[in-house]
Amino acid sequence: MGNEKEGLSTAEVLRKTRTYGQVRCHNPSCMGRLQPERGANKVKCPVCGSEFRVAWVKDGFPRIRGPVWEVNQRLAEEALAKKMKEEKKDGPK
Amino acid sequence: MEPMGKVLAIYPEKCTGCRLCEQVCSVFHDGISNPARSRIKIMKWESEGLYIPMSCQQCQDAPCMIICPVKAITRDETLSRVMVNHTICIGCRSCVAVCPFGAMNFNVIDRKNFKCDLCDGDPQCVRFCEVKAVDYVDADRVSIAKKKAAAEKITAAQRQAIALESESH
Amino acid sequence: MALNRKIAYIDLSTGKIEIKPIPINVRKKFLGGRGLDAYLLYNHTKKGCDPLGPENTIMVSGGVLTATLASATARTHVMAKSPLGGLLGSANMGGFFAPELAWAGFHHLVIKGKAEKPVYLWIHNGKIEIRDARHLWGKTTTETQWAIREELGDEDIKSLVIGPAGENLVRFANVMTGIKNSGGRTGMGAVMGSKNLKAIAARGTMDIKIAHPKEALEYNKHFIEQITSAKVNQTQGTLGTPFIWGATNSWGGVRCRNFQYNQELYCDDIEPEAIDEVCAETMGPYHMAGCFGCQVHCRAKYKIPTGPYAGAYDEGPEYTSQGAFCGEPDCRSIETLLTGNHLVDQWGMDNLETGSIISWAMELYELGILTDKETDGLELRFSNDEALLEMVKRICFREGWLGNVLAEGGVIASEKIGKNSFDYLIQVKGVSNLHSDERATPALALNVATASRGSDHLRSRPAIDLYHLPEGVLRKIYSNPVPYEGLLSSEHTEYVGKPWQVFWQENCYMAVDCLGICKYHTVFLGATLPNFEDWPKVLYYNTGLEFTPRELWDVAERCNMIERLFNLREGLKREDLKKGDMLNHRYFDEPTRRGAPDVVGRVIDREKFKKMIDEFYEYKGLDKDGIPKPETLKRLGLESEPSHLV
Repeated sequence: MGNEKEGLSTAEVLRKTRTYGQVRCHNPSCMGRLQPERGANKVKCPVCGSEFRVAWVKDGFPRIRGPVWEVNQRLAEEALAKKMKEEKKDGPK
Repeated sequence: MEPMGKVLAIYPEKCTGCRLCEQVCSVFHDGISNPARSRIKIMKWESEGLYIPMSCQQCQDAPCMIICPVKAITRDETLSRVMVNHTICIGCRSCVAVCPFGAMNFNVIDRKNFKCDLCDGDPQCVRFCEVKAVDYVDADRVSIAKKKAAAEKITAAQRQAIALESESH
Repeated sequence: MALNRKIAYIDLSTGKIEIKPIPINVRKKFLGGRGLDAYLLYNHTKKGCDPLGPENTIMVSGGVLTATLASATARTHVMAKSPLGGLLGSANMGGFFAPELAWAGFHHLVIKGKAEKPVYLWIHNGKIEIRDARHLWGKTTTETQWAIREELGDEDIKSLVIGPAGENLVRFANVMTGIKNSGGRTGMGAVMGSKNLKAIAARGTMDIKIAHPKEALEYNKHFIEQITSAKVNQTQGTLGTPFIWGATNSWGGVRCRNFQYNQELYCDDIEPEAIDEVCAETMGPYHMAGCFGCQVHCRAKYKIPTGPYAGAYDEGPEYTSQGAFCGEPDCRSIETLLTGNHLVDQWGMDNLETGSIISWAMELYELGILTDKETDGLELRFSNDEALLEMVKRICFREGWLGNVLAEGGVIASEKIGKNSFDYLIQVKGVSNLHSDERATPALALNVATASRGSDHLRSRPAIDLYHLPEGVLRKIYSNPVPYEGLLSSEHTEYVGKPWQVFWQENCYMAVDCLGICKYHTVFLGATLPNFEDWPKVLYYNTGLEFTPRELWDVAERCNMIERLFNLREGLKREDLKKGDMLNHRYFDEPTRRGAPDVVGRVIDREKFKKMIDEFYEYKGLDKDGIPKPETLKRLGLESEPSHLV
């Protein structure tokens, strides 16, 4: 019976994988782990260059509040232009 | 003599109104989930978002103890609590009527009064309240947090006054 | 104990009330909550019944764990045939109603017929009374609840009520309890309204014996720690659900201007921290509230700081309100957000559907499909906050041509508006999509397309798919309790492995809904939250019921199949745009234009999407048309439905 089972459940095992103090880059295929400096209100992803405004849920617990609009919008527009160009070359994917 | 007597300290502003305290109280004492059996109860003003946990204050000069005609209620000084001896209690409910906090309850199922017994020193409401709207602390520490908050306000006001004064000069 | 809670059959036409126990074999097959409701719906309605007619049946229930010492057993479930999509109607809400109903002696209510005049039900310690509600008709959701308390003289009464929208048969009117807890989707409020049922009031002091109280207490402590230590729930407990909207908008997963964009730019004023500040200002630093027994406390309390409703108290706004009153209509004002949220709460209408349908109308107006003639001169453009709030009122009270038409829901409205208006309606099975944009996330697209109650994120969304978790972690989660050896991909833009994830989540969410606990306590937003392996313990300690994780999975699969059977009976066809497992063409044809670098330029690939559906059907044991194979029904013990066990 399930309730007699010894040991930890998957959820309990995975609890160890939690990374307090870090946030993930909001660029979904990047998802790099970012560790903003304590109290900082911005963070830049060293991998993909996205920039984010940072808020603090509590001390030592950062959260991405939103993008730095100018920066990330520019990145988006560049990526879109590049994709459109490729698409013209290869036809739609 | 060793100081003793932790008390249940209640911080209503922190209460989220979830009533888990009521539930764990009734399960711990009676093995039953039923808020009607809980020694602690959240009073709510829902249209204002105001929630206030109410429980026994374990009064020093407890009115329930004084009024009890058969002396079924006594103070247990080891845990600084007021206890009911149900073998003596006659179920007259005088204690229920006299308690200024409404913290003495009457259970209509078992026809018995009941009140907070601090779970023999490990209050379950405190143990389960994640926001610490109820806490179990030494009696003389209850006022410390408030002292500090008030002091902070005063110093802030002082600092502001000083700043204003230097500005005007 | 929890298992002796009863089921009540109430016929409002005749006034007849029957109270019966719930047999243990029924519990073993369908547990309770949504699962048992689905069984009851299939058994107690006839094919093709009018959703707003007396022959429709509305179920109200708690889960099998409701009011026991499992964490947050607060959920109330409501089910009926939906007046919005004509298929399964189902809504689930937090608050305090279901536990009170359980203490009053009941887990399930089955309400049929139609009362001659407005009535409400008064359920008190095993007794049910039908009472006059003529004096409550017209009252808002909170006015109704407070009036019932006053009338019956008990402050502890919890009620499930409808507001003016439900009375006016707005097809997406909701059912509400407390300040803001809403059974929002699929128009359950209109079903109540059509039965002249204004409210269900409950109050009880009946014991629920815990099977193993010591163990239940200790395990609950452990369970709560697992739940509240998750980062996602700590954020939730500080900022409420707006943080989800904020995070999703940040990478470009939020529907904006109906479906023109996938991100709302420069919306700092309505980001969670901005809302949090207003809540803190108006309610103080500790401004979070919790549903029954829940330590996540994700509900913010606020007072509207400015505008015509300044000073009004409310709770939320949840992320659906941000979508409804900000992203979709492209508005950015916190006053609009808080006011809009307040209006739908008070009037009892689904915020999601309301915002979505108005945004659709805004796009139609800008395209010239709707003109000043239909809007009675209202300039229904995007970013027009005033027009947005005005339209909420017109829909609720069916004012003007357009208000009355939109109150019928998107599909009927599109037929009345005509032209190609339907092409712009972002819906599945007649139910509007969440404020999210799934063009960059095939797994989520599959979820909205196949959700049983119509487009929905709470039926099967593998939200953790966005976290790019290592494949090993995904495998740990998704190959339990049923082994899965197929592909899994950490890549959110992928199509492989996703059908299994959606299938797994569908069963996970069904299990949660049968148990009666909240989805923030399972694998929805956090990968490390409890699931199948953890629940048998909670179930055993609290009720004494012995289930293996696999057996719970089987119950969930069975209950999902009953929902499918209902939908098929009522006309579900795989590729039908109005009644099928199909997405609006814009998902396939219009590439995303905003968001993170790898989110821009995305569409859902039609062929791959079809293959995902095929694979998903295979896991469910359906044929290519989405109809269950005979062996599937046999395996799930559903070969002789309707079986009328209860």
